[in-house]
Amino acid sequence: MPVPIVNYVALGSFMFFIGVIGVLVRRNPLIILMSIELMFNAANLLFIAFARVWLQNAGHIFAFLVITVAAAEAAIGLAIVVTTFRSEKNVDVDEVRSLRG
Amino acid sequence: MIVLVTILLPIAAGGLLYLLPREDRERSRLAGTLVAAATFLMLIAGRDQEWSFRWLSRPFTAAFHFGATPISFWIALLLALCTASAIAATRVNRTRDFTALMLMLEGTMLGLFLARDLLVFALFWDLMLLPVFFALIGWGEHVATAWRYFIYNFAGGLTLLLATAAFGVIYGSTDVIGRGGAHLVGSWAPWIYAGFAFAFLVKTPIWPLHTWMPPTYTALPPPMAAVVGAVQSKAGLYGFLAIAVALMPVYVTQYASPLIVLGAISLIDGGVVALVQNDAKRVVAYSSLSHLGLIVIAIVSTNQLALAGALVYIIAHGLFTAALFILLGYVEEREGTRSLIRLGGVAWANPRLAGALCIAALAALGLPGLAGFVGELFIVIGVYQAGYVWPVIVALIAIVLAAAYMLRLYQDIMNGPQVEDVPVRRDLTWREGLAVAPLLAALVLLGVQPSAILASVSSVTSGAHAAASMEAQR
Amino acid sequence: MTYPLLLALWLAPLASAVICWAFGPQLRTRSGWLASGFVALSFALAVASWPAGTQSAGGALGAHQRLFSWGPGFDFGLLLDPLSLLWTYIITGVGFLIVFYSIGYMDGDRAFARFFAYMSFFVFAMLTLVLSDNFVGLLVGWGLVGLASYFLIGFWFDRPSAVAAARKAFVINVVGDVGVMFAIALIVANVHSIGFSDTFAGAATFSSGLLFAICLALFIGAAAKSAQVPLHTWLPDAMEGPTPVSALIHAATMVTAGVYLVARCAPLWSRNPEAQLLVGTIGGLTALLGAILGTAQWDIKRILAYSTMSQIGYMIMGVGVGAYEGGVAHFFTHAFFKAQLFLTSGLIIHALSDEQDIRRMGGLWKRMPFAFWAMLTGVLSICGFPGFSGFFSKDEVIYGALQHGHPWLYAVGILTAGITAYYMFRLLFITFLGEYRGEAGTPHGHAPAWIMNAPVAILVVPSVAIGAALMIGGDSSPWARFFAPLFAPQALLAPSPAATPPLSEGLTSVIVLICVAVGFAVAWYRYATPVAQADAVERLRSETAHMPPVLTNLFYVDAAIDLIFVQSAQFLGTISGRVVDPAVLDGAVREAAFSAGWLGAVVRSFQTGLVRAYALLLVAGAAGFIVYYALAGTAH
Repeated sequence: MPVPIVNYVALGSFMFFIGVIGVLVRRNPLIILMSIELMFNAANLLFIAFARVWLQNAGHIFAFLVITVAAAEAAIGLAIVVTTFRSEKNVDVDEVRSLRG
Repeated sequence: MIVLVTILLPIAAGGLLYLLPREDRERSRLAGTLVAAATFLMLIAGRDQEWSFRWLSRPFTAAFHFGATPISFWIALLLALCTASAIAATRVNRTRDFTALMLMLEGTMLGLFLARDLLVFALFWDLMLLPVFFALIGWGEHVATAWRYFIYNFAGGLTLLLATAAFGVIYGSTDVIGRGGAHLVGSWAPWIYAGFAFAFLVKTPIWPLHTWMPPTYTALPPPMAAVVGAVQSKAGLYGFLAIAVALMPVYVTQYASPLIVLGAISLIDGGVVALVQNDAKRVVAYSSLSHLGLIVIAIVSTNQLALAGALVYIIAHGLFTAALFILLGYVEEREGTRSLIRLGGVAWANPRLAGALCIAALAALGLPGLAGFVGELFIVIGVYQAGYVWPVIVALIAIVLAAAYMLRLYQDIMNGPQVEDVPVRRDLTWREGLAVAPLLAALVLLGVQPSAILASVSSVTSGAHAAASMEAQR
Repeated sequence: MTYPLLLALWLAPLASAVICWAFGPQLRTRSGWLASGFVALSFALAVASWPAGTQSAGGALGAHQRLFSWGPGFDFGLLLDPLSLLWTYIITGVGFLIVFYSIGYMDGDRAFARFFAYMSFFVFAMLTLVLSDNFVGLLVGWGLVGLASYFLIGFWFDRPSAVAAARKAFVINVVGDVGVMFAIALIVANVHSIGFSDTFAGAATFSSGLLFAICLALFIGAAAKSAQVPLHTWLPDAMEGPTPVSALIHAATMVTAGVYLVARCAPLWSRNPEAQLLVGTIGGLTALLGAILGTAQWDIKRILAYSTMSQIGYMIMGVGVGAYEGGVAHFFTHAFFKAQLFLTSGLIIHALSDEQDIRRMGGLWKRMPFAFWAMLTGVLSICGFPGFSGFFSKDEVIYGALQHGHPWLYAVGILTAGITAYYMFRLLFITFLGEYRGEAGTPHGHAPAWIMNAPVAILVVPSVAIGAALMIGGDSSPWARFFAPLFAPQALLAPSPAATPPLSEGLTSVIVLICVAVGFAVAWYRYATPVAQADAVERLRSETAHMPPVLTNLFYVDAAIDLIFVQSAQFLGTISGRVVDPAVLDGAVREAAFSAGWLGAVVRSFQTGLVRAYALLLVAGAAGFIVYYALAGTAH
């Protein structure tokens, strides 16, 4: 018996909100990056689930695309964190405000 | 081909000038004068020639199409003459770099006046701002003046470009300058005309768009002020003649009233403000506002005689404005000031300078027998013939004002007791005298016999008039 | 018929001007002789042109020489007919005498050659004015004589007063120029030509409103050039120039250009009685006003300047009412006697080393008998003493006013004649009688006295006798016959005057003479009796102190013009240049730039640099979208 789609949506939404709250409340850039990954994966989960429901492959393709982009984004994000740490000796996102207008 | 070479020669020569040593004043000045004089001769040689190279075919056809029209021929000659005179009269720091900028200015403006394609016209419209902008930054006192000049005129360039693009899309081609029978009508045409007119009015300039002009003319070194005040300000008027009147005569006539009102305000405003300025260059700048207002009135009246007068006055104004700026530059070199309050009695030590300034000032106030008078006379006759009586009265009042402020300019500098605190005075050298002599000679010549210029307007506007009368009959 | 000699006549003074200007430092004192020679050459050619100028071949009067053309309708040429011939004689003949006189008067001046360049240029410009066969050529001459006048008034340009006077003269003359320019616009718009003959041929078709407008515009030019009220204020100030300049330009020739213009355009004026009335009235008013102001001056040249203004008023009145021959006749005789008076005053000024105040003169008849006799003949002529030239021409003008139906102008003319006698004899008595009241200096310059005396002596002859020689005999006099071909057709155009004037010409002369005698008697009583001579210094001081303010302030015309035109233009300029341009126009642009900056500042405040704040905004935005679409979905 297949798992009903509602369960997937609930789990995906739950993961997504954990990610959102993680981005909003944590000050460590590593944790923020991980929270962003969490949101990506929530989205991936829904893509796959709905692809199964509608019997279309587009969801699978999007999931792969998202995984690729997420990997690239994590690499760039980590690189920024490292260079920021080198120049500022600090990675707390509330303290590093050199992009203020 | 000679047309293309005429345009490219000064630009290339400007670049090559940087091969000379940085402080080689004499040779760069000589080279610059010779190049400008060469363009003068080449313009005459290539009077009837054209050169064209296809640029765009979609969404409309456009071409790098150059060649003198009967109107632009005279203005281009004026440009070459003024540039040669101005470079010969140059006496600034970093002469080599300055001369290079002057040549590039001449080249870009030749491109503008010789362009037969609206898109090329718009391209050179923006290009010709750059040398002046760099000169303002390099030789002016405030960078703000440079930006003010650039932003004002670039805003005009923007509406010009938009209008050109719209024109091309609707008409199908922008290769239309100087081509008889090309006319634009339709619901978009008034907006296109407005776009052109705004650009031209900023460049001319006309009240209330003139506030960039006095500081620009004051800040520029005299030779470049001469070329900008004499010829670059004519780009807008040339545009009116060659684009607005030739391609959209119906709308020029239809929307003449607001422009005539603005022209009349410029006439009086420029006159009364020039009357109370104490900086000699500002007097000339505001006098330009007044004189160019008169030309705008003449052009939008689209009367045959007024247009002929406008062209003569365009040339005459160029000649005497260039002469005035160059001569005021000489005065400033000698006396170290431009203030009419501090200057005085210069004629005692500099009779030749006084004579030259006198001729230029008299031409500016429209003395009969000099070129300015011919222009004013034909404009007054033509505008009256076109049925505008009160602008004629305003113009006549402005002529009286011109007499007052030009005499004040001349007398406050040259007459009165000699000011004592200036160490050395010398009269004009041969080089300085020869630099302005062609301008003054041309003023006298055109004042006596202007028929060559008077005749050249009819050939261009006759087609426009046919269209206008057709429209009126409809 | 073509007449190339006209070109030589016209261009000789120009050649002289160019040579004197270009080679002044080399020529030095020879420039005076050179200029005199060229002007004399012009005069000789003019004399030789008498037959050509008076002939009438093929219906066209005089000689014509084509010059060049600017285009259809704009043809330039020279025309020598009786009217321009007369002016040419005065310009070159009297001009020669005055230029010659200047060799002595200007001797020792640091800009000797420049003076003669300007004088020659003036003669050329004036010839351009009177010889042109079209309105544009006339306007060119009109402007150029104004320029020459400007140069010569401001000749001593280290004096601020001379510089200011020159500027004033030029600007007021430009007012006249633009008047003529407007007239040209009216004419070209209607006849499509600038030529005199085309215009006068077309005048028959003009409406009376158009005719009046053309006449009015032309008369603005004439009034400015001929110092008619209210554009007269420049003429007295113009006396800042050297005295020969005052004699040539501001007495004999240039200021009578207005008379020439009205006489030349007789076919226009004769068709329009309103314009005639206007011009006649202004002329009469100027005659009276100039005479009244002349009684209150102390500067010898300013007295003569006001008298010039008054006499030109007579001429304008004459040509205005239609008495063209009379007005032109008065120009002709006035040129001689006024030039003579000015040159004589120049002798005095020269001898007293530039003293011009008559209160510091007196008793000069003993020191300068020649000047006294020259001045006396001039005064008698200007007052219209019977037999002298002025008598004939002035009576012709005054009687002409009555003949053409203007009794008020007739009365004004008679009254002015009396006042003229008073102020001219006042000048003569204060200057020459009694005891010398000044401190004599030594005259500058070393030229022999005959150079200055000879021209004066020559001028005495026509100013005494030319009227009697030419103007006796009414319509059959040589004068009337000379002008008959030119002005007789105009008489037919004008509305017929009153059949016979109530007073005859002889009676008019008697009335004028009585007025002149009264004027003379008052002047004699106040300045010439032994009692008056005894305490002359005290009397003159008291007269100075008790002069009515309205006269010392010249009827407040200068002040009014200054207030209404000069001050208001300067005020407008100050407002516009100091307030409108920087604050309003530039201010608007600057406000636009500032508001762009302000907008940037507002947006910038969102850019905190806090990554978590950005994230919050992002979430809020996303939430907003979700809510919007949820609501939009339920609305469906």
